[in-house]
Amino acid sequence: MRVLRLIGIGTLMHFKTMSRGLFEIATGLIVPIIQATMAVYLLRAGDEPQNMVKAAVGAGLMGIWSSVIFGSGGAIQRQRWQGTLEMMVIAPRPLALSVLPVTIATGLQGLYTMAATLGWGWLLFGIVPDFSHPLLFLVAVPACVIGLGMFGLLLASTFVLMRNANAVCNTLEYPIWLLSGMLVPLTVLPDWTNPFAAILPTTWGARAVHEAASGGAVWPSVAACLAISAACFAAGALMMSYVERRARASATLALS
Amino acid sequence: MRLIFVGGAIAYRALFNWTTPSMFIGTLLVGPVFQLLFFAYLGRQLGVANDGFYIVGNAVLAASALCLFGGTMAVSNERRYSTLSNVLLSPRSRTLIFLGRALPYAGNGLLVATFTLVVGKFLLNMSVPGTAWFGLILTLAAASLSAAFFGLVLGSIGLRFRDVWLISNSMVAVMILLSGTTVPRENLPAALRAIGDFLPLTHAAAAARELAGGETLANVLPGLGLEVAIGAGYAIIAAVLLKIFEYESRRTASLDTL
Repeated sequence: MRVLRLIGIGTLMHFKTMSRGLFEIATGLIVPIIQATMAVYLLRAGDEPQNMVKAAVGAGLMGIWSSVIFGSGGAIQRQRWQGTLEMMVIAPRPLALSVLPVTIATGLQGLYTMAATLGWGWLLFGIVPDFSHPLLFLVAVPACVIGLGMFGLLLASTFVLMRNANAVCNTLEYPIWLLSGMLVPLTVLPDWTNPFAAILPTTWGARAVHEAASGGAVWPSVAACLAISAACFAAGALMMSYVERRARASATLALS
Repeated sequence: MRLIFVGGAIAYRALFNWTTPSMFIGTLLVGPVFQLLFFAYLGRQLGVANDGFYIVGNAVLAASALCLFGGTMAVSNERRYSTLSNVLLSPRSRTLIFLGRALPYAGNGLLVATFTLVVGKFLLNMSVPGTAWFGLILTLAAASLSAAFFGLVLGSIGLRFRDVWLISNSMVAVMILLSGTTVPRENLPAALRAIGDFLPLTHAAAAARELAGGETLANVLPGLGLEVAIGAGYAIIAAVLLKIFEYESRRTASLDTL
């Protein structure tokens, strides 16, 4: 219970802190809206003009991933710059539990994106968010956000060892969009990509959200997303404790 | 000429000093290839256009983000590193100094766009006539130059507004939507097509597709000329804005205010 409270209050605090940044909010709203518009025109131009909800939901998912990858990639570095990393490390809780709320908050911030793309699609293109499973949509999206947050923890713990984490973040945006089937169905990708797609929590999270929106069995995808994400969390926590010990031993915690 | 080329190269090395080979390869070479694959597979799934449309379009597009952000950085990073006042104290023409700043980024854009085109051609088995390559390189160079001058316009706006990166990020997305590199322009409403006409890359993308389709360089020269004219137009706008904002910054003593 105390762990859940820590995660809940930490997530709320970091979400509120991130929501003060005009740049992050505006980027999270404007860029996905343009991407949603592009998806709509592409669908209209192609063979699937009836599947507009998919465009709005897909663009929203892409925005959530962008928020997680850039937010988590810089999570530790940002705490360093703010001078709060030492406090997180000396807190009487595992470091991973202190960082997890940061990465979940980046996923939550991505919800602005989902709301923006759905609202934009409704207002401008008349795409009514007429979901097949509206209630399950409200389950699938938070599950996807929590799953991506845990995946973000693994990324954050890995990126802290790299001096050029930004380069990895920039490079990982399109591959994950592609491999997770956020906008492009996995069926069009070469077969050899399937195993890579299957081990990504983003694939199952995106699948759960698409199934809730367009029809399909949502629960198995939600379960797979959360199971893989839990494994990511465990790996991320191990990595985080290793990094923490190394930084303490070499006295490099506050060095950027 | 020395001010433009040597000055531009020195400023590029100074302002781009934070990059490393891994960052360069990851962000500028690998990233655009994945972007190409994403749009190519999306296009296949939707039946919008063939792979060639996306390979050529995304090769042109690959130059845009780099040149646009580079042009923006060429001005706004001077302010960030507190060296803007030194530049403005120079007795030489600031217009030439800043226009020269765009050139290394345009060269970089040409390299990235050519790399993306070659890799895309081999990955997705596209056939490009051997005679088309000279024209294609010329077209990618024109696209890179006009995108870099457009970036300079955005960078000059950064002398006045704090959140210039918000504008740059949004403009990259707008160029993906309106330049015809990923969405066929005939599917866009007339108003959006008209805006696209005045953006960098639009005419270069059309010219590059014609060249890859077997047209001769002479036949695509009008489109290429339009791209160059648009680039020149943005260079003039950037020069005028830099003058105005420099004057305003001096008047309101806000030169180095971040």
